[in-house]
Amino acid sequence: MARKPAGSKKKGTFSGLSVVASAVLLFMVALPTFITLAVGLLPSMIAFLFDRSQGRTMSRCIFGLNFSGVAPYILEVWQYGSQSASVATQHVFQPIALSIMYGSAGLGWLLYLAMPPIVANVLNLSAQRRVSELRKRQRGLIKTWGDSLIKEIDRSGS
Amino acid sequence: MQKQDVSDGADEQAAAADNKDTMPSAGLGGEDPTALGSGGRSIEIGNFRVFSDLRLPEYDMGNCKAYAADNLRREEGGAFALVTDPSIPTRYDLIRFLTGVHIGGQIDLLDHEIAPWPPFDQKTMMLFYEKPAGGRVLVPGEKQKKIDEHDFSKIVIEPLMNVLQAVAEKGLTHRNIRADNLFFEGPMAEKVVVGDCCSAPGGFNQPLVYETISRMTADPAGRGLGSVLDDLYALGMTIAALGIGHTPLEKLREQDIIDVKLSKGSFQAIVMNEKLPLALIEPVRGLLCDDPEERWGFAELHAWLDGRRAKPVQSNTERRAARSQNISGKDYYTARSLAQGISKNWVNALAPLRDGTVENWLRRGLSDNDRAKHMAEATRQLQWGGADKRAAEDILVAKSIIILDPTGAIRFKGFSAMVDGLGTMLSYDVQHGRGPQRFADVVMRDIPAFWFGRQVGYNAEVQKLQQAYKNLRYYVQQQSAGYGYERCLYAMVRNQHCLSPMIEKSYVVNIGQLLPALEKASETLPDDAWPIDRHIAAFIATRLDDDVEPQLLALQNPADEVEYSRAIISMLALVQWRHGPDNLQNLSHWVARLMEPAVKVFHSKARRERVEHEIPKLAKRGNLVELYNLINDEQERRKDQTEFISAVEQYSESESEVFDLESSGPARLELAEKVGQQAAAFASTMIALLTVSALFLMHIW
Repeated sequence: MARKPAGSKKKGTFSGLSVVASAVLLFMVALPTFITLAVGLLPSMIAFLFDRSQGRTMSRCIFGLNFSGVAPYILEVWQYGSQSASVATQHVFQPIALSIMYGSAGLGWLLYLAMPPIVANVLNLSAQRRVSELRKRQRGLIKTWGDSLIKEIDRSGS
Repeated sequence: MQKQDVSDGADEQAAAADNKDTMPSAGLGGEDPTALGSGGRSIEIGNFRVFSDLRLPEYDMGNCKAYAADNLRREEGGAFALVTDPSIPTRYDLIRFLTGVHIGGQIDLLDHEIAPWPPFDQKTMMLFYEKPAGGRVLVPGEKQKKIDEHDFSKIVIEPLMNVLQAVAEKGLTHRNIRADNLFFEGPMAEKVVVGDCCSAPGGFNQPLVYETISRMTADPAGRGLGSVLDDLYALGMTIAALGIGHTPLEKLREQDIIDVKLSKGSFQAIVMNEKLPLALIEPVRGLLCDDPEERWGFAELHAWLDGRRAKPVQSNTERRAARSQNISGKDYYTARSLAQGISKNWVNALAPLRDGTVENWLRRGLSDNDRAKHMAEATRQLQWGGADKRAAEDILVAKSIIILDPTGAIRFKGFSAMVDGLGTMLSYDVQHGRGPQRFADVVMRDIPAFWFGRQVGYNAEVQKLQQAYKNLRYYVQQQSAGYGYERCLYAMVRNQHCLSPMIEKSYVVNIGQLLPALEKASETLPDDAWPIDRHIAAFIATRLDDDVEPQLLALQNPADEVEYSRAIISMLALVQWRHGPDNLQNLSHWVARLMEPAVKVFHSKARRERVEHEIPKLAKRGNLVELYNLINDEQERRKDQTEFISAVEQYSESESEVFDLESSGPARLELAEKVGQQAAAFASTMIALLTVSALFLMHIW
């Protein structure tokens, strides 16, 4: 197994530190936003912890849609100037809000699961169409050149 | 062209009944070529009417039978037809030279035709001669008409000399001069004429005594064309025969004649056994001299005729050994007789040759160191013979015979022929059941090359023969159609008819006769047979002036049926183009049926269909050249080939791409998973961005 380059490990550690630093900063500066994000993005964080795929495509996929579901509530928190942790907690733990935020994360996960078979089908269809085109072309050649073509192919093949 | 017609008789039914047992009811080609003429059955051939039941045995020549014939163009003078034996080749050069030419002393050859002869159930060569008014000069077993010694020169020698000179001027030889082939030109017996000389190979019909010492040891068919000196020798023997009234030494067996001539010399052999008239002794001695250099020529004969004294010749120049050499219990004193003794005792002669006894005899008995040296060399070569010991021993015996008799016949295990008679000997062997093996053995063991090496001095004829021999060896070494012994046969014997079973009965001698004969044969032959076999291929290769080597090369590989059939069609088309005839309906249809493989020369189905569609149309026209051109359009073929190669490439590329696509399923799934995940991540990111942007815009507005 190839060793992971030192640069990318360093980058990963730096990225993790920067996230923790941002979270700490957010916790100190804007606690309601922090609470909303921490609760709302919980599926993304779990996905991030368990995702071992190259490029962390699954966590990226879940995060994108999860964030789309959390974004309206963050905006709502920001709209009311007198933010407080209790208001934020109250908003976040409403069942509809949780359903929207976690549902969107689920949609992201479904998207991650559904996309490869769709692409595989597209690729297979395209390959089948190409094979059929090539067979048609071969049939045309045999029609024009007859047995001698097959014999020649067999001869050169053998 | 020969014309054939039928004449009606007076009492057809009776004559037909009389002849039913002896004559076939139908001639060649399904029509009856014989009918009853006033004298019985007659066949019209060219300008002559031949009466097939009116034999003239006095004009027979060996196996060739003579029949009464009428000249339809000329009233005066009688004629007879000499029907040649189809299994013996006639003499092309002499027939061409003598036809229609009057030479004093030679019976007039009025015409010649190749025509069907019902008793043979095939075509053969007919020679039409002017019937001499006087009878045969010497009939074997009958008393000879007396020729006065004083008139001998005028009646016999001068006419015969005239014939020999005329023939020699054309570079030809007569080779049929003998007493029982002479006729009196008129009823007054004032002059003789010599009979037929064209119906058989040179010397074939000559009794052994008329042949020189060199040629008498060869088989009759292999005696060769010889030179004018051989004719002069025969003239000498003819004079002797007419002088004594019968064929000299006729009471002796052939082997005894050979023995006595070899041991005593020709002249001595005659004078010892016969009583020659004194007046004839001098020319007979001069003409029967066994040394060709010393033998009388025309100048000496003229001198003798003029009454001048010619230089005396030593009749026997063969050196006689002080002691004998024994082979199989018989003593031999001369090199030539020993050579003949060795050839007759092939197996027993090997021991004295191998242990150097013969070499010692040459050195000490004959004091001939030169021959002894060559004999020693030949014996030494036996050790290098390799694995095939038997062949090396045979070569030693054959070479020793040549060393002992360098101008004599090539003798090899029963085969005996002069170098210039190899072709006719081969022809005889092939047509009389012996097959070509003896000839092939001689050529493959390169015996003639040794014979050429032993010839002393420059001789243009020998040089020419040597050049021709080089080709023969090459032909025999090649095994494919167009070569082999068949090629040698047609190359050496100009008047050899084609021996292909398909057309043998048509007696095809010239290339122009070939296609009409095949046209006729195609009516009866099975469709699946090829119209060219080994004999026809060799015949075309020899007789056609054009180079057909590329076609012969293609015939070497019958497995490649496209090239094989193309080569055959090409050869036939070439012959038709050069020699016609323009319309060969049956042959064209035959060829058309066999063109299926040749059509495969085109790869394109459309082109093939076009050609297949055209073939019947062209076959109907009977033109082989057009048929050949149809499959040999070089531009079209090249285009077809280029397109075919491109099609093969396209097909192969498609096949390989299909294979790749069909075998890349797992890899594609892997790719799809990777791409799908990336696409999902990308889509998710884009949705997030759009949502945030939309919320932001909504918030602003």
